Amino acid sequence: MKDQLSALIDGELEIDSADHLIASAKAGGELKQCWAHYHLIGDAMRGEMNTHHSLSSRVMGALENEPIVFAPNRLQERTDMVSAPETRLTATRSGKFWSIAASVAAVMFVGVMVLQLNQTEELMPVEIAQSVPTEYLQAHQAAAPNGAAYYIQTASFTESK
Amino acid sequence: MLRFIGALFLSLLSISSLAADDAWLNLQKSAYAARELNYQGVFVYQNGKQKSSVQITHMNNAGREMTRNVVLDNNTQASSSQANQPREVYSQGNDIVIMRQNNQKMVIEKRRGQNLFPAMLPTDLRAIKASYSATLGAKEYIAGREAQMIDLVSNDALRYSYKIWTDTEYGLLLKMTLVDSKNKTLEQIEFTQLSTLNSQDVNWFQPKIDVSKSYEMQDKTAVNHVDSDWIVAELPVGYVKVDHRALVVPGKATPVDQMIFSDGISSVSLFIEPLNKGMRPKTGRMGIGSTNVCAHVMDGYQITVVGEVPPATVMQIAKAVSFKKQTAANK
Repeated sequence: MKDQLSALIDGELEIDSADHLIASAKAGGELKQCWAHYHLIGDAMRGEMNTHHSLSSRVMGALENEPIVFAPNRLQERTDMVSAPETRLTATRSGKFWSIAASVAAVMFVGVMVLQLNQTEELMPVEIAQSVPTEYLQAHQAAAPNGAAYYIQTASFTESK
Repeated sequence: MLRFIGALFLSLLSISSLAADDAWLNLQKSAYAARELNYQGVFVYQNGKQKSSVQITHMNNAGREMTRNVVLDNNTQASSSQANQPREVYSQGNDIVIMRQNNQKMVIEKRRGQNLFPAMLPTDLRAIKASYSATLGAKEYIAGREAQMIDLVSNDALRYSYKIWTDTEYGLLLKMTLVDSKNKTLEQIEFTQLSTLNSQDVNWFQPKIDVSKSYEMQDKTAVNHVDSDWIVAELPVGYVKVDHRALVVPGKATPVDQMIFSDGISSVSLFIEPLNKGMRPKTGRMGIGSTNVCAHVMDGYQITVVGEVPPATVMQIAKAVSFKKQTAANK
């Protein structure tokens, strides 16, 4: 059932033959949630991202009001699920060098020490060895390779000890 | 006799310059190979004590680069007894989509970026040629592939050097290490498994959905490119300012000034923020693997410099910061 739903969203399945899916998705439960997830992820992968609240409500709104958007990509090729047209023929060239840390910054946070916050007793300067600014390491790695790289990793994401 | 020695000298000279050309040619080929070939493998990244394995699938589908990275040993902050779903990173052209688990939620994060490992070398090598020399080293086997080592040595002490291994057949970058002036490895990334991908099937480019978890898109963090009154009087040779932004850090009342300096290869970030009430000033210097951090306090501001560069470089930048004029915040 989920596979069929995925196929419907990808435009592989004719909407006419998917009445049962749409009915189930509308009825709620697991399939409805799955439907929302597929759309959220599909939108992110296609580069049509909005903020999460507007996306979720848009998807769910569509589910309630406008059954016609159920197969938004049905006329497009299968590969459009994964490729925005404007990104075609990009990036086999690049003028920037990536440091090793930067080349994996999206995959993992490079840095092992955790920032110690809220120590308010006495405000004597502390050696940074005890208090490494994690968010700065992340911001550096995220921004370093390319001045035009518009991304920052959330600082609430702390990893390992 | 003199003529003979002269001829010998000339021929040695041309051999060595040919070898340098070969080294640059290898790097050039490697830069293209990472972007144009279809491959799948596992690489291990190591920095200081941190070590992590990642499965990578890369395809160039008629000019569109598609990559999936899945972290294989995700021992993150799992608070429950259940292991977190592995972090997955999908990239297509310059778009990067990250799927990661945060407690019971799956967070979808989107970034703009360029290429990930192993596409680290630029196809235009001119900037590197200005500050580094390349020579061919020995051949060895890495992940079952024959590899040519290339020494990329920094021309001064303001940046680290690299060793790069490329596949002798396909040119793909197989291994790369960052080494300090004593030839000690600070950071390393290396394929442990690698094979070419022969199918044009793109089904792998699709996250697995776990319906027991809810998914949400992370809010975009606004990045404002700014110009402030902070100046860095004397930058280390070869480094230029490439960006200046107001960084919004969760939990901080005011945005942090972030300036980014680069020599085309190595880069350094400078962070400046006012020392607000309750903030503990930080001073000193430390290194974590390849990363050096230098912090000091100036006129009520916390200055922090971070970069994958030698200690001298971060210290020089930290000391060269000054404010153009007095403001209310400084009083």
